[in-house]
Amino acid sequence: MAAFLRSKCPSVGRTLMGGLGNSLFGAANSSVEAVTRSSHCDAISQQIRTFIQMRTNLKVVDNSGAKRVMCIQSLRGKKGARLGDTIIGSVKEAQPRGKVKKGDVVYGVVVRAAMKKGRSDGSEVQFDDNAIVLVNNKGELIGTRVFGPVPHELRKKKHLKILALAEHIV
Amino acid sequence: MRLEKCWFCSSTIYPGHGIQFVRNDAKIFRFCRSKCHKNFKMKRNPRKVKWTKAYRQLHGKDMTKDTTFEFERKRNRPERYDRNLTEQTLKAIPLITKIRHDRLEKHISNRQKPGKRKEMEKDSKELDQDIGMLPKKLISNELAAEKTKVKVKVVQQQTEDNAMEE
Repeated sequence: MAAFLRSKCPSVGRTLMGGLGNSLFGAANSSVEAVTRSSHCDAISQQIRTFIQMRTNLKVVDNSGAKRVMCIQSLRGKKGARLGDTIIGSVKEAQPRGKVKKGDVVYGVVVRAAMKKGRSDGSEVQFDDNAIVLVNNKGELIGTRVFGPVPHELRKKKHLKILALAEHIV
Repeated sequence: MRLEKCWFCSSTIYPGHGIQFVRNDAKIFRFCRSKCHKNFKMKRNPRKVKWTKAYRQLHGKDMTKDTTFEFERKRNRPERYDRNLTEQTLKAIPLITKIRHDRLEKHISNRQKPGKRKEMEKDSKELDQDIGMLPKKLISNELAAEKTKVKVKVVQQQTEDNAMEE
């Protein structure tokens, strides 16, 4: 992977590649790959979809008041969070009168991920965007409504409240 | 377990194959392989892509109305399990597929018939008109071959007679 990247993007400095820690390496990975790929293929739809990691922007799909959250930490997985995992994020954009304001540090459950998730029957699911639902540190929902489709992977993760409020379960 | 149809090419998706893409309006697109998935991401319309079933049916290349399609219609009501029914269905499936396949082949050959007839007419016309275009050596060789054929026959008969006589 590193060799591939080095051949594809000579502009990225050696020190930058060497000095990055494990968690940041992934972020640089995906963003650099996206840039090189989009310049090669000239189509945003050909992006490689990867994990949800530090600095990933996610859409908030409940009515807690936040609109965009930036992931600061994934609570599961070395490479990052996937569909159904919990993350810690910082609210970047919020509605003026909501339960959370800009700059708050919140927990969230990933309900839609652009990276495909394998299911036990052999099929793979992939969504259009990265979306989360805000949760407190005990796992209880902050908002009272959830918008958009939601996967049934959440049942296994015991996020039954989200499933109950969901408009559409995939 | 349910056998789905690929959104792009309309082929069946067997378990363990393909990707489901869920759009934010909760519409699910199923693809049988990455070829179809990539074409979808390129925003190609399957009705314009020549190798898809959608194109073929739209342009009359494949048959569209047939009673065998009725068997495959999606029924959302689950049937109570009945062993006899299941057995009969499983026996009927290959029969129906065969019949559908045969009808499809017939449809395609019927479609191609006028073209084939035209080809034959054209070829026979060309033979009549342009036989002189063939090199003289070839034509004369043919005639010579016919003549030699006849010769050989007679010779054989004579030797046979000689043998008989002796």
